[in-house]
Amino acid sequence: MKIPFILEIKGNSLDDGPGIRSVVFYKGCPLSCVWCHNPESKKAVAEISFDAKLCIDCGVCREVCPEKALDRNNCFYIDRRKCTLCYLCVDSCPSGALDRVGKAMTVNDIMQKILPDKPFFETSGGGVTLSGGEPTLFMEFTSRLLQSLKQHNIHTLLETCGYFDMDMFMDMLYPHLDAIYFDIKIIDSVAHKKYCGRSNDKILDNFSRITRKAKKDNKVLFPRIPLVPDMTDTEANMKAIAMFLKSVDVTEASLLAYNPLWHEKSDKIGVDDPYKKSKAMTSFGDKPVLEKCKTILMEAGISEINS
Amino acid sequence: MQATAQINSKSYTNTLANLFFKFFALNFNNRPSLKQYLKGDDGWLNFTFGIKTESGSMEQAMRFENGKVMVLKNIPSQMDAQLIFADENAVKEAATKPPNRLMLALMENRIVMHGNLGYLQLINFYLSLLLKQIHVAKLKKETKMENRDYNASAAAKNSIDSRKLRQIKAASIDPGIRCLPEPYLSEYSLHDFPRLKDFLDIHLKTRPAICHERAEILTRWYRENGFETDKNGQPWVAELRQAQAFKYLMENRKPIIRKNDLIAGTNTTKEIGVIIYPDAHGTMIWGELLTAPYRPLNPYDVTDETVDVLHNRVFPFWLHRNFRQWVREKKDYPLCQKLDERFAACFLWKTVALSHTILNYPEILKIGTKGIIVKIDREMGETPGSEKQKLDSFLAMKITLEGINAYAKNLSVEAARLAKQETDPCRKDELIRLADICRRVPENPCVTLDEAVNAMWIIWVGVHMENTNAGFSLGRLDQWLQPYFLADMEKLAGEEEKRQYIKHAIELIGCFYMRCTDHLPLIPDIGNYLFGGSSSDQAITLGGVTPDGEDAVNDMTYIFLKVTEMLSIRDPNVNARYNKGKNSESYLKRLCEVNLNTTATPSIHNDEAVMASLAEFNYPAQHLRDWSATGCVEPTLSGRHIGHTNCMMFNMVAALEMALNNGWHPLMRWNVGPKTGDIEAGDFQDYESFFNAFAAQLCFLADQTCGYNNLLGEAHQVLRPTPFISALIEGPMKSGRDVTKGGALYNSSGTACIGLADITDSLMIIKKFVFEEKKVSFQELRKAVNTNFKNDPALLALIKNKAQLFGSGDPEALATANRVAKLAHDCFGEHTNYRGGKYTAGFWSMSNHVAFGTLTGALPSGRLAGKAFTPGLTPEPHASKSILDNIRDVAGLDPKSMNNNIAFNVKVVPAANETHQRIVDNIYSYVKTYCDLGGMQMQLNVVSSKTLRDAMEHPENYQNLLVRISGYNAYFVTLNRDMQMELIERAEFGI
Repeated sequence: MKIPFILEIKGNSLDDGPGIRSVVFYKGCPLSCVWCHNPESKKAVAEISFDAKLCIDCGVCREVCPEKALDRNNCFYIDRRKCTLCYLCVDSCPSGALDRVGKAMTVNDIMQKILPDKPFFETSGGGVTLSGGEPTLFMEFTSRLLQSLKQHNIHTLLETCGYFDMDMFMDMLYPHLDAIYFDIKIIDSVAHKKYCGRSNDKILDNFSRITRKAKKDNKVLFPRIPLVPDMTDTEANMKAIAMFLKSVDVTEASLLAYNPLWHEKSDKIGVDDPYKKSKAMTSFGDKPVLEKCKTILMEAGISEINS
Repeated sequence: MQATAQINSKSYTNTLANLFFKFFALNFNNRPSLKQYLKGDDGWLNFTFGIKTESGSMEQAMRFENGKVMVLKNIPSQMDAQLIFADENAVKEAATKPPNRLMLALMENRIVMHGNLGYLQLINFYLSLLLKQIHVAKLKKETKMENRDYNASAAAKNSIDSRKLRQIKAASIDPGIRCLPEPYLSEYSLHDFPRLKDFLDIHLKTRPAICHERAEILTRWYRENGFETDKNGQPWVAELRQAQAFKYLMENRKPIIRKNDLIAGTNTTKEIGVIIYPDAHGTMIWGELLTAPYRPLNPYDVTDETVDVLHNRVFPFWLHRNFRQWVREKKDYPLCQKLDERFAACFLWKTVALSHTILNYPEILKIGTKGIIVKIDREMGETPGSEKQKLDSFLAMKITLEGINAYAKNLSVEAARLAKQETDPCRKDELIRLADICRRVPENPCVTLDEAVNAMWIIWVGVHMENTNAGFSLGRLDQWLQPYFLADMEKLAGEEEKRQYIKHAIELIGCFYMRCTDHLPLIPDIGNYLFGGSSSDQAITLGGVTPDGEDAVNDMTYIFLKVTEMLSIRDPNVNARYNKGKNSESYLKRLCEVNLNTTATPSIHNDEAVMASLAEFNYPAQHLRDWSATGCVEPTLSGRHIGHTNCMMFNMVAALEMALNNGWHPLMRWNVGPKTGDIEAGDFQDYESFFNAFAAQLCFLADQTCGYNNLLGEAHQVLRPTPFISALIEGPMKSGRDVTKGGALYNSSGTACIGLADITDSLMIIKKFVFEEKKVSFQELRKAVNTNFKNDPALLALIKNKAQLFGSGDPEALATANRVAKLAHDCFGEHTNYRGGKYTAGFWSMSNHVAFGTLTGALPSGRLAGKAFTPGLTPEPHASKSILDNIRDVAGLDPKSMNNNIAFNVKVVPAANETHQRIVDNIYSYVKTYCDLGGMQMQLNVVSSKTLRDAMEHPENYQNLLVRISGYNAYFVTLNRDMQMELIERAEFGI
């Protein structure tokens, strides 16, 4: 069984489904969207991060690094070509500026973190959301986690990019899910490949098939549309999404306003993304754009709802 | 030879001080306008006052004798008061800083006071006479610098007009609702009640004024009739003396009916008045009489007449007749008193009041004072003449009830007089009705809601005339008023009539709330730093269960909640009991909604946990279920319990500092505690031995403070027994003893133990980092603490980031918190008070977590010197990013160790685009789960740090911004800067 690194288990989330939820963030994703909100979740392998804001420059880490990979003059501080991920620096860092990105956790480890918050799920109608990264990248692990959650009667929700093997999904995950939030980003296949790294054929196909099944089984399935300046929030794309949704009999979608906080996260893992420099990508999504997209969907018969 | 040496060691400052004293003496000896103040109506004020530095480099004194001021070279051994300055800088500061800073320097132990505080205040008064222009200019400058000189009227209007509330409707109707068609009363808003809007406007814009009425009338009576001995030279029976004086006061004070009010009577002669209690701490304002109108924080108006009355007629009489001074003189100035007067380890509220209780209001409303007098007469008839003390107590109680009846009659006459003059027919009718009501009650049983509310108020005024205004509480008003509401409703037939009546009931309760704002406790400027922004803390308690254990939520519960929401004022302090076994979800949702809409109130109590915390006392279930919050949050068994639940604020962290320093307290520069081990000498081989040292220091401080509380209790018995309160509480009628002497059915004394989270986190660092993981030696840690981590940034970062904190969900930290709480509980629990009751331990802090924080050095937890502690027992802001960890840990504390309740503050900020319903639902989920998990009390501030920062910059836009400090509510703009920052720095959770 492939074991994922878990980036974080975030308690008390009010934005990732109904009620109060714990969100399990996986590391690793089959797509590589240029705007990815959690850039540290793209790679499934171990990484190290450095947060300049926390650093007190005590110098302890430089003393312990056997590879001499740490340098104040390096804008990312860590020379990742030299770094062997021995984590001696992380363990010596008093301020928490140096850190492991992700932690290997067993299903049991995750359950131990989540269960104390179960009383809050119960009073609020909340539960657990699997997010990432892409949980479907680890089918067997995720399946076991979901089963464990269901054994404890906890509401389960999956946030997915939709790129997965449908049969395995239906077999291993679907039965244990109460709700699925499914990203629909770009309809144009070429643009999708350009910005997300892969074609969207599989994604759209998966969505259509799950839609039919979920309706029958009374499971919640929401398409979610991230609004990214000039990439997803164009009039053409919105119209295309609306048409696609209509074609599979879906009449509701939620829009996710753009937020540029990923730039900082990308700095921490030493990634110098070319898209960081584009002007449209550095500011928060503005309301007129959101309203415009909403209108386009509305006109096409798709109502916007808060997920 | 010795004398010469002494003179030589004196400094330049000494010369300056000498010159200043001579200048002072010259002025007072020669200028008639000043000289006149050297005496009061009873004659010359004769005393000796001195100042010196700790090293002796400066020493000067003045003797005031028969109208002459003499400068002395040395402080004579028989002096009345002296100030000891830490060093010459402290002298310079005192000479150059604004006068209010002198008291602050005392608090910070830059200056130590020795002797009678009254004389220090008198000296301050003289200084302000001499230097008034300079002092006022300094204070005005400070006010301007702090942005506090804005137009209060415009700010009040702005804040009322801009308030918009969203409201949901009740999803279900509680079984106890008889009349309300929609319990949340969502159809009403403040705009439907112009009368209340006017009162609110007055409340928000009016500057309080010092009222000398009570002090003047009482002092007049005592001067005429004697205090220690009566006119015939016979020693007074204290109860009878107090009763006679009270009756005289009630007969002679001005009966006032506020324009347009539905409730007759006032606590003072001012629109908003500060009542003076010279038998307690009243003389503390002596030194500020001339400057109080100009101080930056919560200024008071003081008329020339008030200055004249207080200085000449009142204060001199009480210089030796107050609680502190009684202990100083009769008990030989004990160590415990000296400790209290250094501010850093404790603050004994017993120096101010024996308050914080709840009278038997249901009985008063039901049988009237007449019925109580019948009972007293019966008891007196059955008591043999040989039991003189008992008979005297009964007689005293009866006299006070005659006094309150006389006041009501005077109000009735006044209402009739006003009615005659009134031209508006509606108001005329109201006044005629008021005249009728006050003619009947509180003497006779109440029949209508209007009568019951007016009777409550008149009794409430009586309480404040007898005893200091500090946390007297109103109790379960929804329970006690519901029968009168129902009786009124029953008489109505038509739907519209009923609707109008419900609206009237809301307005009447609104008037009652606004009446409760007519008086404020006396806060000398030092109090602005110790208890900033606090008002009277008149707790009202709603909901919960009936004495029989049934769901108590009723129509009046929701009417009170509506009024709480509409007015959103700091006082009365609304507390709600939520009994998860009996109360509805709909009720709890409404509590959450009111908290959201008011931003800070009510405070919510888990009924079952609070009752469980009192299990050790084996109270009968019927009495236990009738508990109410008192002052801030503390439980009192309504109507039969003197629990003085805020007898002291206790700084637990002082014990930690003393354990780290082998009994020495750094700020007080005092080797006061027991020798419990020297870190430098390696006396601590393991964590347990250090914990024991901490425990020993804590017990030492608990011994001292309980000792002082008991001595002050004796002072109360001699100086101010309270026959009025005794008549209206269950117990004295059987025991024949005043409540100050243990006459009530139940007795206890409640403490507020401050710093639980700071201590837990510090102990965890010592346990893990020093002894288990050996990341740092104890000596190194102590050195870092003593130098405020200045040279140890890496250690500080390590502590801040890698420690196991209370509130992070760490089971070991939680266990440590439970252990410390139990230790405090046990240290206090082993003491018996002067009334035969037990001491209880609470974990809330009013605002003293800020003041005590100011007086405490850095801690092993990484909290830096002078920074505020966390409020109540709230975890550190950086304990966890998830509010759920905080909630679970606090709920995991054992109520049995917290029998004087807790204050758990949570600051939440709703997302801008979230619906009102969802926000209410989210808050509900937190509170409900917290109660399910066994948490005792929770209070939410629904405001962002951003808003608070803006309010600091632009107070004129936030005149009514309500915040919960720790147990009580305050207007943010009235707080001192440290307290404002503490609120801003609290953890903030988005919802």
